[in-house]
Amino acid sequence: MMISALLALSLGGSIAAWPVGRLLGRRTVGWALALLPASLFAGFLRVEAIVAGRTITERWAWAPSLGVELTLRLDGFAFLFCLLITGIGTLVVIYAGAYLSEKPASARVRFLVLLLLFMTAMLGAVLADDLIVLFLFWEATSVLSFLLIGFDVESPSARRAALMSLRITAGGGLALLAAILLIGVTLGTYSLTEVVARAPELAESPWIVAILGGVFIGAFTKSAQFPFHFWLPNAMQAPTPASAYLHSATMVKLGIYLLARFEPVIGGVRGGRDLLIGVALVTMLVGAFQALRAENYKAVLAYSTVASLGILVMLVGLNGPMASVATVGFLLAHALYKATLFFCAGTVLHATGLSKLRQMGGLRRFLPVTAAASLLASLSMAGLPPFLGFISKEFLFEAQIESSWNEVPMAIAVLVNAVIVGVAGVVTLRPFFMGHGRVLEVQHREVPGLLVGPVVLALLGLVISVEPDWIDRTVLRPAVTAVYGQPVDVQVGLWHGVTPMLLLSATVLAIGMLVFVYWVPLHQRLRAHTLLDRYEAEHAYDALLRRIEAAGAGVARRVQRADLRGNLRVVLAAAAGFVLWGLVTAGVPPRVPDGWGDLRIGPGMVALVVLAGGVAATRARSLLAAMMGTGLAGLATALVFLMNGAPDLALTQFAVESLVVVLLTAALLPLPLATPSTRAPHERRRDALLATGLSTLLFAALLDMTAAPQRTEVSQFFGARSYLEAFGRNVVNVILVDFRGFDTLGETTVIALSAVIAWSLLGPRVPREARFLASSRPAAFVLLKAVPVFYWLLLALSVVVLLRGHNEVGGGFVGGLTGALAFAIVSLAHGVSRARKTLRWHPLALAGGGLLLAVASGVPGLVTSGAYLGHVWIEANVLGVQVKQGTTLLFDLGVYLAVLGTVLAFLFGLSREAER
Amino acid sequence: MIADALRDGLAVWPVVIPLGAAALTVLLRHRPTLQRSAMEGAVGLTLAAAAVLVERAERGGPVVMEFGGWGAPFGISFVADLLGAVLCTAAGVVALAVAIFARADVRARRRQAGFDPLFLGMLAAVNGAFLTGDIFNLYVWFELMLVTALGLVTLDRRRVQIDGALRYAAMSMMGATFMLVGIGLIYGETGTLDMAHLSAALVGRAPSVTLTASAYLLLAGLALKAGMFPLFFWLPASYHTAPSGVAAALAGLLTKAAFGACLRILLLVFGLGSGATPVPGLPPLLALLAAATMLVSVLAAIAQVDIRRVLAFHVMGQVAYLVMGLALASAFGSAAAVFYTVHTMLVQTGLFLGAGAIARAGRVYDLRVLGGIMHEHPFFSALFAVLALSISGIPPLSGFWAKALVIDAALRVGTPWSGWLAAIALLTGFLTLYSMSTVWTRAFWRPRPGGERTVRRIPPAMVAAVGLMAACTLSLGLGIEPAVRLSRGAERQLTSNRPPIHAGPAVGLARRTP
Amino acid sequence: MSILLAFVAAALFGAGLYMTLSRHVVRMVLGLSMLTTAVNLVLFQAGRIRSAEPPLIPEGAERLGNSADPVPQALVLTAIVIGFALTVILVALALRAWGSHRTLSTDKMRSAQALGDPLTPEPHDDR
Repeated sequence: MMISALLALSLGGSIAAWPVGRLLGRRTVGWALALLPASLFAGFLRVEAIVAGRTITERWAWAPSLGVELTLRLDGFAFLFCLLITGIGTLVVIYAGAYLSEKPASARVRFLVLLLLFMTAMLGAVLADDLIVLFLFWEATSVLSFLLIGFDVESPSARRAALMSLRITAGGGLALLAAILLIGVTLGTYSLTEVVARAPELAESPWIVAILGGVFIGAFTKSAQFPFHFWLPNAMQAPTPASAYLHSATMVKLGIYLLARFEPVIGGVRGGRDLLIGVALVTMLVGAFQALRAENYKAVLAYSTVASLGILVMLVGLNGPMASVATVGFLLAHALYKATLFFCAGTVLHATGLSKLRQMGGLRRFLPVTAAASLLASLSMAGLPPFLGFISKEFLFEAQIESSWNEVPMAIAVLVNAVIVGVAGVVTLRPFFMGHGRVLEVQHREVPGLLVGPVVLALLGLVISVEPDWIDRTVLRPAVTAVYGQPVDVQVGLWHGVTPMLLLSATVLAIGMLVFVYWVPLHQRLRAHTLLDRYEAEHAYDALLRRIEAAGAGVARRVQRADLRGNLRVVLAAAAGFVLWGLVTAGVPPRVPDGWGDLRIGPGMVALVVLAGGVAATRARSLLAAMMGTGLAGLATALVFLMNGAPDLALTQFAVESLVVVLLTAALLPLPLATPSTRAPHERRRDALLATGLSTLLFAALLDMTAAPQRTEVSQFFGARSYLEAFGRNVVNVILVDFRGFDTLGETTVIALSAVIAWSLLGPRVPREARFLASSRPAAFVLLKAVPVFYWLLLALSVVVLLRGHNEVGGGFVGGLTGALAFAIVSLAHGVSRARKTLRWHPLALAGGGLLLAVASGVPGLVTSGAYLGHVWIEANVLGVQVKQGTTLLFDLGVYLAVLGTVLAFLFGLSREAER
Repeated sequence: MIADALRDGLAVWPVVIPLGAAALTVLLRHRPTLQRSAMEGAVGLTLAAAAVLVERAERGGPVVMEFGGWGAPFGISFVADLLGAVLCTAAGVVALAVAIFARADVRARRRQAGFDPLFLGMLAAVNGAFLTGDIFNLYVWFELMLVTALGLVTLDRRRVQIDGALRYAAMSMMGATFMLVGIGLIYGETGTLDMAHLSAALVGRAPSVTLTASAYLLLAGLALKAGMFPLFFWLPASYHTAPSGVAAALAGLLTKAAFGACLRILLLVFGLGSGATPVPGLPPLLALLAAATMLVSVLAAIAQVDIRRVLAFHVMGQVAYLVMGLALASAFGSAAAVFYTVHTMLVQTGLFLGAGAIARAGRVYDLRVLGGIMHEHPFFSALFAVLALSISGIPPLSGFWAKALVIDAALRVGTPWSGWLAAIALLTGFLTLYSMSTVWTRAFWRPRPGGERTVRRIPPAMVAAVGLMAACTLSLGLGIEPAVRLSRGAERQLTSNRPPIHAGPAVGLARRTP
Repeated sequence: MSILLAFVAAALFGAGLYMTLSRHVVRMVLGLSMLTTAVNLVLFQAGRIRSAEPPLIPEGAERLGNSADPVPQALVLTAIVIGFALTVILVALALRAWGSHRTLSTDKMRSAQALGDPLTPEPHDDR
């Protein structure tokens, strides 16, 4: 459980660092928080199993049903990474504490906490054996790198760089995710160990190209390989400690880590290694070239890092044991010297505030220790004996010679290494040792916090190569074993006699010297060539962003049009398209009912009247005519219902239509009745076409349906039970209040809540639009006299309709409408205020009360028979009259009240609007 | 006795409690504080009932309630299977967050305009749509959703809201019309409205014009209400005009209710993916719609500058993933769609609530003007970042699993078009990340342009509501195992354990002797 | 008969669609209400046109004899009511729209479109 404990400690500690850090002072915070990575480093060193060449695996269940488990595995390679992450992490935290001493405490602590969280994510990524878990930490590093690069809130360029790195690395992450999921589909496992073990099987899968592609894109974006390399130089906007940690020592190596893990798979696929090496060579060249052209101190380092990452990828691509040895060696060496150089660069920027190499010089006077550290690191970078860089370069060339690749990579490697030598010279000698007097004073001197990091790392680069045994035994051999798959006999030593590698190193050194000596002319000559800038991948990135934005704007312009008609047309066309597609795929002709069968003249005529009304409405010029047409269609429909055995529908349809007319007239009063045609002739034609098309489809479907045999079990059941079990002779009403009462409950809610809407839309509210038309209309004398009569008649009628509904035609809804008509007449005659006085209750109170009653009427049934809305009947002998009523009546009463309240709410609201 | 009633009625409480409370709040319209407590209490109880339903449905299969005691297919029945119960619970959580947010967002004026009854009515309608086993009853609940939504959108009666509501109403009524015609046709063909019986009658039956028209009209109606291209115009035309709390509720509930109905109707009634469906040709159409909706929505979102509009387009972009899961017509796909639905309900609500809080802090929704919120509200910024990362599919948040599950399901289907669908889904994920990172960077990270207008404080209720959703997406992501088990169980119950066909009359007679 | 009714229903549906596509709000509302009527006719025919007898159980009888199918009637009743509610809400909205936009042409109501529109150069805010 050691590893899990360390990881958990790392996570917990990073989170705890936030409150703790706020308590600590400006000088101490860095040192204090560095205890966490330091203790982790110590913790990892205590794991002896690695030395014995064993690997430690710890499993925790997470999502077994997805085959995802929290498996941690520590082998030699992961061990090397863990030491780098925690070791350099310690130094970085100390360094950052001092580097940010001027920043406000909150910002400083935020930065340190982000660093620690990043360390945790890195540890998780290299320890995870489950690919999904690995992906989790992988993306976490991307997000944290985003936050660290953009740390300087004020700087737009920092934000741009941060977004760039996030979009590129996280985007590559998605490709990686695809690969991981495909692996899961192919092998049925996400365990890295198993995947490597079953590499040949994976190579057989049809998905292998996609899988490798995903892994490559993921790794290339993370490790800044061409053509994704450009985010790394931009990432130099981050505060230097972050650059040292993320963008040289650890995060950018994550891609290398992944590729090295997948090396068996890559090697098993034809062309895999070639592609890897090809990309690596291009990256090396681009990096070297840009390093020569760059002006900024950090940019030079960044591009040389790109070149080094290219070398690492190439080494992964090469086959043979020495490739693995070289990978491990160069990984270590590069991490040590490049982090040191970044530290030194940071100190220089911190001290001088300058960013361009050209402006610096003679800093040895002010920053002697930094200068010394930088010198050591540069010597290692240049690959001079007796530094670790020398050894790693020997390995590099040995690997190349041993591997089965031809001269081109060799030549490029020599060239690029030479440039690296030149860079090594430039970044140390120019700012520190040459050009005295260019800088006369500095803002900050060296402080211990700024020195520990560079000095320790620089010395390590020397010590390791001079005293290689320990590191070789505990770190390098296990790592190589893990990468290559079997133990490799490595002699880490400075002198192996005069070997081809030694000669190559000498050549490199010689060319490197030349590069350094002729740096200035070379630099200026290359800078003059702006031609190549045009082909920078970064331009492609910007162009892509512009494309995306443009596409977005184009789409937005199309989908958010204010033209409601156009939108409706699209909706209708889509619906028609759906149905057509369905008919095509189903490929069945419509059934047609046999002949005109029972065509009855009267109903036929009425049906045609419906049609006439509809057509008239469409042709009508004025609104009133259109309204009349619609009303006609509605009323004729009511007749159709009546003539086909649906008196309830007829009654309701009549009531609704007449009410709609009343309300519409009330509403239309303030509106202008003259209606200029809103559609051009060709638009009308198109609309007519669309409408005809849809109605034709509907017609076909209806014919087909009527031709189909009818299933009537349900309606027969209702017919049989309606009286015997639900005690109602009007089957429709029984269905409404009992068999399908729950529909009616929902419908009642719709009604009651639309009353609320009516009040919120039309009700009195401040500020009301102040505008007055005819204040109140004079009503006809006859009407005034007749009002009370009508009022009482209608009211009584409504109650009767409600009560007899269960057995005869009628019911709560029609009753409510009738009752509403009573008040409608009052308001027509005497205006709204009078009507409201006669009503006494607030319409909303009626609506709400009705709804409450309807909802409550279901509860007794629930209590007695366990069925909500199950009816309960009470028989009582009131004065010798046998009264038999049930909860269904309460329910119907609720409907009645809700309808009454709602209709009145609209009536009052609309006519109030009209009276303004 | 009461305890029995409580137990027997379990399946209807998620609908009846908010309905009763809605009626109550209408009556209490002059007592704002009472209104609020009634609303909050009802939301809490609804959530509790839904949670209990999940537990029951997982142990004992669907919890059935036959209204009036008439068994299906004669009476209406609620079938609280795992799908319905889980979605109801998610809806309850959404409602809870909105209710918390409302403490800071809904003042007396909006209360008087009827926020509480309309909100409760919408909750009831959504739960009803999730639970009902009767296709016409489903239609009723959708109409209730529409009505309440209209009321909520126009709560402030501002002209933008009237304009938005008008478009919303017109297009949604069109969708409802399609649905109703589809229902009529299917009844004419089969003579029943109960979904289980419909499925028993339809699966394995030969295709016919009626069935085809019915299926595709239902699809058109639901696709419109779910906000799928090219029927989604109502959504970007109206959501951004609603009050922020309301917009959050709409975003979290409505489109997902429509998709839930899609799941039920296509998987259960028309037996999509059962191999014996009477409507062949659904999967390719769905796949096409999903792909188009994804790309169109996310691109349109990138172009937006008003946070609410950005999010409105992402609502549709996320729905497309659900449809993609459904289009695969595979068990994995449908299960993934279920999980994705729950995830997106929570996260969309959280993001819209976050937008409301942003506007409270920065006075506007316009990303061209906003900025500098992180400096004043680091904690809130972190919460919003969590939600933004979740919708962008960054692990370990629920959004990652949702995307991973859908894409994984697509890859498992292994046909070329499902591969393309997976690729488009990945691309959309990337573009979503692109859009959300821009939003976050602009609103929170960068200093406010001009910087003259300072950032105001955010009421704790708002932060709490957003925090609740952030906590949900995180815990849903870490506790992925139970979530996946539930969603797979839901899919299984829906497709295999169809509720037993009840012998209605026998039940009816046994119960009642007058 | 049923063919005729089917035709009438479909035609009314088409007429409703045609009116709904108008840019004039009130026409659109009328069109939508006409659509609901047409849909009710469709629902009604789901029960077929088999008998002109209303589904009322006569006195003395205990079961329903030959009559029209009651189920679609119940559905239509519900649909009518809901359609009514939506229609009046639309009317109210149209009235409000006139009050706030001073136009009845859906084409000229662009406030929702203008709110936070990315294609307008100036930052627009509704407060």
